[in-house]
Amino acid sequence: MKAVFINPFLNASINLFKTFLDVKLTNKNPYINKDAQNLHEISAIIGLAGDTKGAVVLSFERETAIKMVSRFSKKNYFALTREVIDGVGELVNILAGNAKKDLLDFKLTISLPGVITGSKYKINWPKDVPVITIPFESELGDFTVNVSLKDKD
Amino acid sequence: MRILIIDDSMVMRNIHKNILLENKIPEESFLEAQDGTTALMFARKEPIDIFLVDWNMPGLDGLELLKTLRGMEQYSSTPIIMITSEAAKYNVMEAIEAGVTDYIVKPIKDRVLWEKISKYFTK
Repeated sequence: MKAVFINPFLNASINLFKTFLDVKLTNKNPYINKDAQNLHEISAIIGLAGDTKGAVVLSFERETAIKMVSRFSKKNYFALTREVIDGVGELVNILAGNAKKDLLDFKLTISLPGVITGSKYKINWPKDVPVITIPFESELGDFTVNVSLKDKD
Repeated sequence: MRILIIDDSMVMRNIHKNILLENKIPEESFLEAQDGTTALMFARKEPIDIFLVDWNMPGLDGLELLKTLRGMEQYSSTPIIMITSEAAKYNVMEAIEAGVTDYIVKPIKDRVLWEKISKYFTK
């Protein structure tokens, strides 16, 4: 996976969380995640298909997910409701759809989002493709954007 | 006026509804559907004046719904506004070719969204 593929996801994340949701945040350096099953409690996943294949996972702790969706929907949630889970899915959908705009090497389709919760879930990352993690620190809690995208054959 | 909001995300449907309510569009004007198939069922049952459509939905997606509606005589020129995260140029072109009235990329501030869609509510 080319490092250059990570920039569209970084830019889409900053646009969504910092510019649109007005969340104070800083992004740390992206790194190759050798333990990509070890994510936060709530993960929203979108598959990428078309000219290549891959996946994007947006991962929050429970409290951060609740606060992010509250900010997004302008409604206060206090628990991990069906609406919060729906909202987390919508956030990864926006992130992936926006990132496509700058992934000029590929024509891609995105899947419907799926959201998983708990401490023992397993993500089916594409085989033999590294996962790059972008860590974010934010006023609503830390989160990560994790991307695995196969180079074009 | 009948407005059909079509999005598989409940949170997004609520966001759209709140924008319309804040701009004095009465609640009884709204219908909502969580996928294209349900939307089509509503559209066949009663006349719809404006469609607000997401792209990625289970079953019949927004693009297929758009194509189907444009093939129906009664909706050949009805405002169909796509509000989607799909920001790639090729997606926009596909929707334009299928006859979309307006194409709006999420995320978008409420005020900006209303500025873009309000013209369709005054006709």
